Amino acid sequence: MPKIELSSDRITELETKIAKSKEIFQQAFERFDVKDTRLIWSGGKDSTLTLWICRQHCEEQGIELPKAFTIDEGDAFEEIDEFLHTYTKQWKVDLDWGRNEDVLKAAHYALDAEVRVADLNERNQAEIKRIGFDLQAFPFEAESYVGNHLMKTVVFNTYLENNGIKAVFQGLRWDEQKARAKDPYLEDVEAAQLTPSHARYRPILHFSERDIWDTTLCFNIPFCPLYEKGYRSLGAKTTSLKSSDIPAWKQDLENTQERAGRRQDKEKTMERLRKLGYM
Amino acid sequence: MKHVVLLTIDTLRRDTLTQFGCRLPLTPFLDSLIPDSTVFAGAHSVAPYTQASFPGILTSSYIFDTPRAPKLSEKRVLVSEALKRIAGEADITTAAFHSNPYLSDFFGWNRGWDMFYDSMEEDVEDMSPYISGAAIDEKVDNWLQTIDKGRPIFLWVHYMDVHEPYVPDRQYIDRVDGSITLSREQMFALFKDVLLPRDASNPETVQLLRKLYQAHVCEVDDYSRRLFDILDKHGILSDAAVIITTDHGDEFGEHGSLSHDGKMYSELVHVPQLIVNPPEAKGVVCEQLVSGVDIAPTILQMFGLESDPAFQGSPLYPLSEYHEAGVYGEAIGKRAHKIKDTDMPAYYYREGKWKIMYRQEEDSWELYNLDADPREQVNRIETAAEAETIKRKLKPRIDREHL
Repeated sequence: MPKIELSSDRITELETKIAKSKEIFQQAFERFDVKDTRLIWSGGKDSTLTLWICRQHCEEQGIELPKAFTIDEGDAFEEIDEFLHTYTKQWKVDLDWGRNEDVLKAAHYALDAEVRVADLNERNQAEIKRIGFDLQAFPFEAESYVGNHLMKTVVFNTYLENNGIKAVFQGLRWDEQKARAKDPYLEDVEAAQLTPSHARYRPILHFSERDIWDTTLCFNIPFCPLYEKGYRSLGAKTTSLKSSDIPAWKQDLENTQERAGRRQDKEKTMERLRKLGYM
Repeated sequence: MKHVVLLTIDTLRRDTLTQFGCRLPLTPFLDSLIPDSTVFAGAHSVAPYTQASFPGILTSSYIFDTPRAPKLSEKRVLVSEALKRIAGEADITTAAFHSNPYLSDFFGWNRGWDMFYDSMEEDVEDMSPYISGAAIDEKVDNWLQTIDKGRPIFLWVHYMDVHEPYVPDRQYIDRVDGSITLSREQMFALFKDVLLPRDASNPETVQLLRKLYQAHVCEVDDYSRRLFDILDKHGILSDAAVIITTDHGDEFGEHGSLSHDGKMYSELVHVPQLIVNPPEAKGVVCEQLVSGVDIAPTILQMFGLESDPAFQGSPLYPLSEYHEAGVYGEAIGKRAHKIKDTDMPAYYYREGKWKIMYRQEEDSWELYNLDADPREQVNRIETAAEAETIKRKLKPRIDREHL
């Protein structure tokens, strides 16, 4: 485990941030039965810290640990899978895996394979229509616009629906991208077509990328070894790039973009098309 | 010329330039470039909307060369890729600055560029859903400060400002018609209530929309001037050929509709084009029919390179050797902003005074004599002796295997 030297002021600052996160968890558990909540755990640094804080809080308060949920987009790093399996056992986490089996099957489990819309089930076909695509076929890519929707959003919504989930915990942060800068700690999502109503709690919004690494290293929180190899942000395997060859926490976090190696333009590109009247 | 700049102005109608018959001085700057340019009076876009016409400009290919897909096919060769491959990785610096989502990294256009700015990370307003030409110019300026100008540069700059919604600034409205008193909200309402539903029924409203459109044309003329100043400031302009054109025009009720859908009439596919500081033929008006697919081969030629085997067009210079064989275009014949899977292809072919079009959906043919009928109002498919001959020239393109 790499070591980090922090001043006592800095450690106090991080402890205050952790305490703030615990408050958010507490608010959620006062409103919802733990059984109706899920912690979204991708195996990345942010959701792992979220889970670590949640475990601590639950232990302290004598609350049962919520179940966790992870989405397999069909294009995952082996290192992430391994990390999830290891800490599911070590931390005794009850982890559900979600995947869009219907799309994977239609793609013959191969990236870049052509998926024929006619081969998909009714739900997936309806979802493609819902996001404004009139396609007969699309290439299977986890983080293309259609791929992202089918492999993540649909899996998420279906899971909430089938399990009667009322609230989820997400490891989002204000500083991870501009679009998140105004996200609230709690968002009540109203039911819409194909989306059940649910609450979204974001307990670590106030952690910066630097805070994440200082906390992770200072408190010996485990993390996926890819970060040590230079990845700063982990998404689908084929669309995440190393931003450098040095460990993430040693990179210039303040002056370079965390998600530079990740596709983040898909939503924005679609939003532009919508605004131009094309969607 | 050492450098080549391609300036494309989205949705720029041919008749916005004085050179092509505009009676209002909408583009004083672009007009001032005419004496230093080859003017291509017969320039045609290969399609009436971005996704189908830009493969022509930047990959010298037609939309149905590869299966219908939202993304640019890997099989197409972008001019930036051809430059890198033919000249070698380090020889020519390639850069793109634009704000058109259909040409973004997400849709596969970021290939072969040393610098690719598509602005998709920026937040934009509903009333102006793109980065303005002013901001694009600034990006170009900043970038030029950082690079080695000793090496040849291929720079592509694209302005979106003319594209709807038409919500121009007051100063530009005043240049067109100071009596227009619409608020920004009212202009935006015209976009939602009239333009998007393609309601061309009220001639006064159509005329108003046209004026708002023209105000945006005045605006990009300013940005073009600024771009030239920037190129000059960095010592590039005197040693650069600048190709100025558009991806397509725009309709204001000429054929019953608005905006730019899958129709092949002149207001959409007969486009403005000039090459400033050309290798020859400065101050010449070239009347030959030339096509969007000729642009990429011309760029390679200007760098002294052979054309790419994948390119379907021909270099424009020397003009005397350009073999005019008629111009051709194809697109999905959509009748609304959005392309539906069920929308079928539409085609055109122009040779001399004749222009023929075919729409698969209605299995309908149209033939126009552009000398006598430049507005394409009288369909001569049943009455022209040449109809069968021209039809035979378009048929092989239609019968080409479609994926």
